[in-house]
Amino acid sequence: MKTRLWLGIAVGIASIALSGMPAQAQRAGGTLVMLVQPEPPSLASYLSTSGPIGLVAPKIYDGLLDYDKDLKEVPSLAESWEVSADGKTVTFRLRKGVKWHDGKPFTSADVQYTVMEVLKKVHPRGPNSFKEVTEIETPDAHTAIFRLANPAPYMMRSFGSYESPMVPKHLLEGQDARSASIANNPVGTGPFKFVEWKKGQYIRLDKNEDYWKEGLPYLDRIVGRFIPDASTRTAAMEKGEVHYGAYGAIPNVDVVQLRELDSIGVTTDGYAMINPVSLIEFNTTLPPFDNPAIRKAISLTLDRKFLIDNIWFGYGKPATSALSSSYAATGLYAEGMPNYPGKPDVAAAKKLLDDAGIKPDANGVRAKATLDLIPYGEDWRRAGEYMKQALGDIGIKLDLRYEDVPTWLKRVYADYDFRMNVNYFYQLPDPVLGVHRHYGTDQIRQGTHFVNSSRYSNPKLDELLASGAKEPDAVKRSAMYKEIQEILANDMPVVNLHEMKFLTVFNSKLKGHDASGFGAYGSFDRTWFDE
Amino acid sequence: MSHPAKRLRYVLKRLLQALPIVLAIVVVNFFLLNLAEGDAVDVLAGEAGSATPEYMAELRQKFGLDQPLPVQLFVYLKNVLSFDLGYSFRHEMPVLDLVLDRFVPTLLLMVSTIVLAVGVGIILGLLAATGLNTWRDTLISVFALVTYATPLFWVGLMFIVVFALNLGWFPTSGMENIAMFYSGWDRVWDVAHHLVLPTVTLSLFYLALYTRLMRASMLEQAGMDYVTTARAKGLTERRIMFVHVLRNALLPVVTMAGVQVGALIGGSVIVESVFAWPGLGMLAFEALFARDLNLLLGIFLLSALLVVAVNLIVDIIYSSLDPRIEVA
Repeated sequence: MKTRLWLGIAVGIASIALSGMPAQAQRAGGTLVMLVQPEPPSLASYLSTSGPIGLVAPKIYDGLLDYDKDLKEVPSLAESWEVSADGKTVTFRLRKGVKWHDGKPFTSADVQYTVMEVLKKVHPRGPNSFKEVTEIETPDAHTAIFRLANPAPYMMRSFGSYESPMVPKHLLEGQDARSASIANNPVGTGPFKFVEWKKGQYIRLDKNEDYWKEGLPYLDRIVGRFIPDASTRTAAMEKGEVHYGAYGAIPNVDVVQLRELDSIGVTTDGYAMINPVSLIEFNTTLPPFDNPAIRKAISLTLDRKFLIDNIWFGYGKPATSALSSSYAATGLYAEGMPNYPGKPDVAAAKKLLDDAGIKPDANGVRAKATLDLIPYGEDWRRAGEYMKQALGDIGIKLDLRYEDVPTWLKRVYADYDFRMNVNYFYQLPDPVLGVHRHYGTDQIRQGTHFVNSSRYSNPKLDELLASGAKEPDAVKRSAMYKEIQEILANDMPVVNLHEMKFLTVFNSKLKGHDASGFGAYGSFDRTWFDE
Repeated sequence: MSHPAKRLRYVLKRLLQALPIVLAIVVVNFFLLNLAEGDAVDVLAGEAGSATPEYMAELRQKFGLDQPLPVQLFVYLKNVLSFDLGYSFRHEMPVLDLVLDRFVPTLLLMVSTIVLAVGVGIILGLLAATGLNTWRDTLISVFALVTYATPLFWVGLMFIVVFALNLGWFPTSGMENIAMFYSGWDRVWDVAHHLVLPTVTLSLFYLALYTRLMRASMLEQAGMDYVTTARAKGLTERRIMFVHVLRNALLPVVTMAGVQVGALIGGSVIVESVFAWPGLGMLAFEALFARDLNLLLGIFLLSALLVVAVNLIVDIIYSSLDPRIEVA
């Protein structure tokens, strides 16, 4: 009798306690099918920052740090870290007991090799991000001490697994990093292991049972599918054959339809670390765009809101400076820059042109040029057509040119055979990483893609860029970048159009895919399916 | 010489003749492809996000792209003769492996398309010709016209919308359901299930051609003297049409089918793109945009060999269909 009473009380207490638990507990299991568009050339994220690689590789590799949704640094392979007072020494204490997918232990030797021999040498942004690092000391297997020639506050923003993956020294040592076999057979420390890659069909990643985060990942498997046709991707998403598509895998025009469905969710979150901004690069060494007046007039004429509403279906924010407004969080964005009007000001544009002596001829034409468009999709073609019309109104006659990627890259970045080029760039978490490359004189590197192709050269700006990069004091840095933005707004070697909002389309049952500040480029360790 | 021995000699002679043809095709393709602006290194660097000029020069040296064209051609031909089709630097795999990997899905799609298109085309053409100028004939002719005129990608997408999304009878895309990782007979059934929509889409277009060709060919044969003779002999209409006329009418259709096999590898790019079918068409298409010349040349070589082989088979079918046609 007494036993029954106690049993009853125990059950009563237990049920009260359990009912207080959250209704949504993460469930383990399930296979996530995600869109990877286009098929990546390899899985070597230490060699290439190509977007499709970034969708898959960070699930296999870890970085020293991760970043949460507020973009704050969070421990990953590094449990803790200290920056010295003079900013020239960064000490990382590494996590113990971490193993590579082949069973070997992860140590500070891997960190030293990754940064000094791989990222500093062959990564597209590595030489820039780690340029102040002179050596990395490894007093023991779990400590890595970075010695810098000068303080580099921006460097702490580049330790995520997308940007700086930690790669295994024991598999890369002695080989040329550019042709190592782990490019197509990655071995990392991340939540998912590489299993197979059927070219033209899919990449399969299975759960890493020995992942260093207890109880994670939740998913059993991630499969990245390649579907070349945009409408087919939308159909597959709608039917539930794929559960996740980011970075415009589903075209904006279809998103407008899909977001009405209960089974589909849409978000613009997860791109804060990327900061994509669209812009027009000008060839500033040749007429007609060697005159800043005509470049400023173009900035005054284009209706950025129109572009966003009609071509990108409302997803985007007009650019108001050379730096994206998301830098307001770190105090580097400056408001109120000239020549970035809220509404187009055709009269002011015409006046600027008249004052500069660029007058219309008998047919009303002030200048002629060819507008090159980034050949990444139909929305850019539409944007070009709008620009042709809008700039025709102030007397700039444009011809549109849309070529395939290799031809376009060669023309603009190797041959400088262009006048106006529409493109978009990632500004990344710090302007040193993604913005300096458009404006510094030392970034005029013929043959290198996505750097200063307008060949703008301003010694005062170069000085400011160099000191802004090194300045550890936030207030002083803010003032320097304000001056930088003022100079750029008055010279306009590049007209920034809009801060792009990429879209992530996902099945409503999928949760936790946005746990990392990197969004789609995150590790998906906390992603799970709610049935 | 006995008949089989004659035939064997003929086959060997044709194969020998094929060699210089294939060689010429490879050389012409090589020069044609090199006419395009930009090269593989530009694409690789562009995708990487940035690359120094020194690195790009190093890559060019590694790929052999800095040599003059005739030297590159010579090196390539030498490799081909030892079955080394080269290395695709974009995919980091030997070309031969890449091509063979995608060959099976392409073959599946091609064979089922030909069987469906030719088979149904012949039947429809036959039905149209034997019911000349009746509603049956008109219906079939209109159907052929409509399917011929409608763009392939639209048909494909409409099938996806109707049969995959609305009715849910078939999957939207891909060759198999990768979330399930079937094996054995389950996998065969799964692939067959995925094969239906792409095959039907691709065959509809070619079906129209075969229908009209068969119909015209049957009508032409029906007007020949031997048909009058057969009727005079007292043979049934059925036997005349389905045994005698049919065999003769098949010849132009077989010719057409042989020619189309070559076109199918390239023409299936649209269907492969819409249905995400991992075939050679898509591979070639992407290779062009990536300026992966080694891969493209490898695919062209395979196509050329296939066309030569099919032409030979067609000629042999001729002689078995119509013994009057002496090919040996």
